Amino acid sequence: MITCADFMAELGNYLDEGVADEVRMQLENHLAHCQTCQVIVDSTRKTVRIVTDSGCFDLPEAVLKPITAEIMAKIRGKQG
Amino acid sequence: MGYLKETGLGESFQPFSVFREYFGFVPNLFLAQTLLPRVIAAESALATAILFERRCLPQVLKERMLLALAAACGSTYSVGLGSQMLNLLGASDSKAELSSRDALLAAFTVKLATRSSSMSREDIERTAAGGWTNESLLEAVLLAGLGNFLCTLSVGLGAEPDFAAPPHLGTATSLDIGSPERESFGPYLYAKEMPSDFAPFSFLRDNFGFVPNLFQIQALCPAAVVAEVEAMRLILLTDDVLKRKQKERILLAVSGSNQNTYCVAVYAEILTLSGVSAEESYKIAADHWQAGLSELDNVLLDFAVKLSARPEEFSLEDVESLRRQGLSDEQILEAVAVTALTQFLNTVQQGIGAVPDFAPRHSFHLDTGNKANLSYPDSRPNQRDEPPDPDAELVRKAQAGDLHAFEVLVERHSKRIYRTLVGLLGSPEEARDGMQDTFLKAFQHLAGFQGRSKFSTWLLTIANNAGLQRLRERRPMESLDDDGPEGEEGFRPRQVRAWTDDPEQLCAQAEVRSLVENCLKKLPSKYRVVVLLRDFEQLSAEDAAEALGLQVPALKSRLLRGRLMLREALAPYFAKSPTGVGA
Repeated sequence: MITCADFMAELGNYLDEGVADEVRMQLENHLAHCQTCQVIVDSTRKTVRIVTDSGCFDLPEAVLKPITAEIMAKIRGKQG
Repeated sequence: MGYLKETGLGESFQPFSVFREYFGFVPNLFLAQTLLPRVIAAESALATAILFERRCLPQVLKERMLLALAAACGSTYSVGLGSQMLNLLGASDSKAELSSRDALLAAFTVKLATRSSSMSREDIERTAAGGWTNESLLEAVLLAGLGNFLCTLSVGLGAEPDFAAPPHLGTATSLDIGSPERESFGPYLYAKEMPSDFAPFSFLRDNFGFVPNLFQIQALCPAAVVAEVEAMRLILLTDDVLKRKQKERILLAVSGSNQNTYCVAVYAEILTLSGVSAEESYKIAADHWQAGLSELDNVLLDFAVKLSARPEEFSLEDVESLRRQGLSDEQILEAVAVTALTQFLNTVQQGIGAVPDFAPRHSFHLDTGNKANLSYPDSRPNQRDEPPDPDAELVRKAQAGDLHAFEVLVERHSKRIYRTLVGLLGSPEEARDGMQDTFLKAFQHLAGFQGRSKFSTWLLTIANNAGLQRLRERRPMESLDDDGPEGEEGFRPRQVRAWTDDPEQLCAQAEVRSLVENCLKKLPSKYRVVVLLRDFEQLSAEDAAEALGLQVPALKSRLLRGRLMLREALAPYFAKSPTGVGA
């Protein structure tokens, strides 16, 4: 039977579906009995989803356009 | 005459005037290089900054240290020259003339030049305990580098001795500190801050995308940095005799043979600017015969590695092996000079203990044959069949001078580059400046991009380097990896209340975004950037690792730690309250 520490060691691969079938079964056996690890898996998955859907640090077109224009102006200046 | 042809450069050749002023004549070592005057100019600049000009150490001591080093390296040529110089200075060439304090410094220099991979902080501390300042220690390190540089040149060129070596100096010195070999992390010397417009640093930033720690730590002796960067410009970064790519491979192979993880890691990273994958660079450093190079390139690297690692076996036959491959004397001379320059850089790095600018992707080990080697995987784990690069056509047009094509690439990638830089720097304002740096640098190096990695990954590598450079300028001399242990060790989740089923529904999209941004900003940069690349940009672990100069396991470790830290920060907003309602 694996421990919570064992589970945490494999958590990253488990979340990214990068563990072998045998290991995954062991991890899920642990999960079935451990509420703490269940919470951590569930909330970490939700964290990933929130980040993915957040649109964080997005640059609005209105801000991006002048920066792009400045970059290209510098490049054209060097070329000229 | 040495191994190579010579030609006349005329009385007015300025580097020869410099040598005449110091030595009283032009040593054969430099006359043997007249085929490439720029190489002699580079050597003159190095010798002037490190040996000829007076700094902390007395001239006689410097010459004695060089002599001890030459004897330890078994360089008959340098022993003869050094002994003559001491005679000219009216000093004895006997080791017995050294005070115990001077002998300590000389022993340090000899150990650095002959067994540099076993240097540790303890060596510096023991020498410093003799009353030597940081400036003096740096000067000793530079002298060791210069001594190795000159010995390598004299062996590679077969320079005819200007003076016979005195019989009592013909064998290796017994000077040695003899400290136990151990792992030790630098830097061993402190550095002062240089103004941001210090010309050599600007040159390095323009050409390499950043200023390697190796040079930053030497800021105590700006003249040496000026000379070293000039030597790199004249010897390494030229393309007219040997191709720059061939010379960069020599640097990698010789550094690999010297087990110099720092120089391999830094140069592998620099070469990613030219589209050479880090994996290819590491293969060259580990065993160039396994790197799929042409026979000519392999023979060239055999030549350089033998010259640096087994100079006692080096002979005219090695020069002939290159001639048989069709290399000219000019090209062979340049191969010798690049090998010598690499010896210099390796020695100085080991002496000052410059910490890696990038986490080395592979570490060195000795195999059962006791041969210095790098370990490297044959291929990345989980390597996929790569689809064609969607940017390839635009890149080709931009390389042909189509600025509109480059503009489309800028527009296509700017948001990801910006987000990566926010990840590294934590500041939107700095990220915008970093984005400009990135695209200007990409344009500058576009011609060298060979498409061995995806354009988007190459661009991210440049952004990563630009971001790291800004971080270094913000907190000079701090390791970027000082944020504590990685992985799940040392980090235990404390928030273990269950989250609501649809946490995003608890507040408006704009609020979620602001919350995520604020929580991400609180993460150490090395975790933040990994979370953004993987979870927002949806890069594969392999692509993200390549862009950030990490091994895949290290990237995964940082990703998990970053996700868990972010989860911890978000938990107060999204965990169910004890009554079962969102907090």
